[in-house]
Amino acid sequence: MTQIKRDILFGLCLVAIASVLPFLFPGRYVVTQATLFFIWAVVVIQWNLVLGVGGIFSLAQMALFASGAYATAMMGFYWKVPMLLAIPLGGVVTVAVGMLIGLACLRLRGPYVALLTLAIAQVIYVLIVNDTACFTSTGGCMPLFGGVRGIGQFGDIGFRTLFPRSWHIAHYFVALALLVVAVATSIVIIRGPLGLAFRSLRDNPGYAVSRGISRFKYQLWIFAVSAFLTGIAGGFYAVHFRVVGPTVFSFQLLLFLIAMVVVGGLGTIWGPLLGAAVLMLADEGVKELSEYRNIGLGLLLVMFIILQPGGLVKLFSPNGIGGRVRKACSRVRGRSQVQNATSERPTD
Amino acid sequence: MDKPVLNISGLAAGYDERRVLTGVDLSIPQGQLTAIIGPNGHGKSTLLKTISGLLRPSAGTITFQNRRIDGLRPDQIVERGVIHVPQGDMLFPAMTVLDNLLMGAYRGGARTDLNARLHDVFALLPKLKERRRQIAGTLSGGERRMCGIGRGLMAGDGLLMLDEPSLGLAPIVIDQIYEIIFDLCSAGRTILLVEENAQRISERASSIHLLDNGRFVWSGLGTELMSRPEIVEAYLGA
Amino acid sequence: MEVFIQIIASGLTLGAMYAVATVGLSLVYGSLNMLNMAHGAILTLGGYLSYVAIQHLGLNPVLALVLAAAVCAGVGLLIYLGAALPLLRAEGFETNIFIATIGIGAILENLMLKGFGPYPIPQPLAIAGHVIIGNVHVPLQNLFILAVAVVLMVAVAFVLERTRIGRAIRATSMNREAAQLMGVRVGRVYAQVLAVSGALAAVSGIMISSIATLSPVMGGDPMLKAFIICVVAGLGNVYGAVLAAVVLGLLEASTQYILGVRWSFATLLLLVILVLIWRPYGLFGRTLVVRL
Repeated sequence: MTQIKRDILFGLCLVAIASVLPFLFPGRYVVTQATLFFIWAVVVIQWNLVLGVGGIFSLAQMALFASGAYATAMMGFYWKVPMLLAIPLGGVVTVAVGMLIGLACLRLRGPYVALLTLAIAQVIYVLIVNDTACFTSTGGCMPLFGGVRGIGQFGDIGFRTLFPRSWHIAHYFVALALLVVAVATSIVIIRGPLGLAFRSLRDNPGYAVSRGISRFKYQLWIFAVSAFLTGIAGGFYAVHFRVVGPTVFSFQLLLFLIAMVVVGGLGTIWGPLLGAAVLMLADEGVKELSEYRNIGLGLLLVMFIILQPGGLVKLFSPNGIGGRVRKACSRVRGRSQVQNATSERPTD
Repeated sequence: MDKPVLNISGLAAGYDERRVLTGVDLSIPQGQLTAIIGPNGHGKSTLLKTISGLLRPSAGTITFQNRRIDGLRPDQIVERGVIHVPQGDMLFPAMTVLDNLLMGAYRGGARTDLNARLHDVFALLPKLKERRRQIAGTLSGGERRMCGIGRGLMAGDGLLMLDEPSLGLAPIVIDQIYEIIFDLCSAGRTILLVEENAQRISERASSIHLLDNGRFVWSGLGTELMSRPEIVEAYLGA
Repeated sequence: MEVFIQIIASGLTLGAMYAVATVGLSLVYGSLNMLNMAHGAILTLGGYLSYVAIQHLGLNPVLALVLAAAVCAGVGLLIYLGAALPLLRAEGFETNIFIATIGIGAILENLMLKGFGPYPIPQPLAIAGHVIIGNVHVPLQNLFILAVAVVLMVAVAFVLERTRIGRAIRATSMNREAAQLMGVRVGRVYAQVLAVSGALAAVSGIMISSIATLSPVMGGDPMLKAFIICVVAGLGNVYGAVLAAVVLGLLEASTQYILGVRWSFATLLLLVILVLIWRPYGLFGRTLVVRL
């Protein structure tokens, strides 16, 4: 069975399990937490495309998420655009923002991109929070982008009126659908020609370029594609929570999401999903110790990046912790190391 | 037979998953010029890098003056007296020629020793003295090569390993470089030289070793090599 | 005229503080290829240590400064041993250490949050009083900061240019393998650079908090600005970074006066983006020609 078929089968199994979940735990809490998990999973999967596959050191993911959220909310609030239209339009706006950021940053090398994207995100946050000039006065003074309090009352998809008591389950499935699309895009990109192009750029940049693979063009492409779904996730987030504010720029959230990608496995298909699940569960578990949450997150991040940089998906591969434990055990048992056969081929 | 100063036995080394050296044995006598030749990509530079510690061997031993040096850090190996003048010079581009030379003497040597050594290096390489305040990145190819060799000489006595000193230079400049190298030979320096082509050194080298596919396939005197045209053609082209 | 002096005074002070914050970062990137995202947290730690030393241990200010610098040098060393050293052996060092230091910074920051609470407190290591230059009241604290910064920059330059250690650091930054072949123990160079960077961060943290206030999250902005300065100067270019820091300080003071505090960061950033579009390797950076 080809790799792609295996991935699709695995995905279908997961979807089947996920579809049953809200009927096993119909309570609001589990379902809404799971919905939130789906949303973050979408964001993290897109971020993985940029960071892990494209090799673009971008820290602007949350800024893009916020673009989608704010665009959707503002379209609904100021122009009364219905949410079913506003969310995809929010995605388009996010692509535009993403391309602007990409054009500004992608000519630079790795660390420069990180710093610049971080700075851009920070500036957007500062601009939003410091803008105290009243733009409208519906329900009190509100700045153009909502200021510190954020924007609310911009509309709804419609499930709240349609299913007054189980709208959260409807949202759950919308988010699940979004996640399925995200994973599908991820599979297509990673296993397809774009993924191949990026691997070649990483392994032998000179040769790749000489074969016509333009690093800038491909990076911009992947940046834009991932921005679309991130923006949609942002728009849906806004609709789901009925408010959008500068808290999406918080460093805490960024840390949380980076940890998801790292713990799960950078550059892999299922890694980000796994990481998102693990971290959401862990977050649940330590809810009591909320003061230590960030310290715990930081520790998790550091430990994983040093000891298991491939993430949980690579736990049992030769370089992972599982693999190394296995090697150590076999050495203890006295088995000799496998001798590599010497190859007679010339080395270049 | 002069005492061997460097002994390599069963050496294997490579990069990541690539095995380059597959079983190398070599003895380098003191006070002589030993040459390693062979087509590119077959392990000559890898061998020097493994000796100087930039690469870790995956098997085998290297002893220098009867002490093992395989597995040591490069700075420890330099301390023992193994000096590697790398391929492509690897000068410090933003430093002056003088600073580069001083870096060569980094690992010790008292003040007086330092000045004496500098004096000797300038005597051997007068062009360096002329350009001692020039930024290394702006030197010409031949001058860079001289600076690299001078830097190696600043490290004092010991085994001097030169990786392709003729690389990328015009023939007339190569002549100059080799004049300097042969002067060092005559003065009794132990030199391990790596070159793609044996032509220039076949007379002066006390032994030549041909490295092919990660192991030595032929060893002998320089004059012998020149009298075996089939080897020359098979491995070294024209 | 008065406005001019005011801007110069605050601009130079800002520039001085940024220079001290940036030099360490630049050294670390130059020699290790490492973007130390924990720098802001170490900066904050320095500020708090001086507070603890003066308020709770009753030490005199000079001793407090030295203590803070020493402890933060130790933190830098620990980061080398605990994070950089293990990661250097594997692939993808740049990305991994970047993420690792984000985590370390978060840990440090939250420990301080837990220990000292979220509310800003004044930095006790400060000098009161003014000096009058051309009708403008220039706080003595600013002059003090300027003096300390100049002393530190001269010291760093001296070490880099004239000492054996400094030459080893410069050599390692230019070509690590060549430095090893000269007998430089690069591991030790890395540890030294990280320690010095920690000490400098502590001093700049004390300076910054003496003008503003001490709070657990104060490190983020200066660190970001320090990084921007490094990027504009060309990562790894230490002297360029000092120059860029002063320029940025003056620019920030000017934009703060003209446009108000709110817009200065945004304007600064816009300028930086434009500079980077024009010169992707920074104003003084060199394009690296890599042989394939």
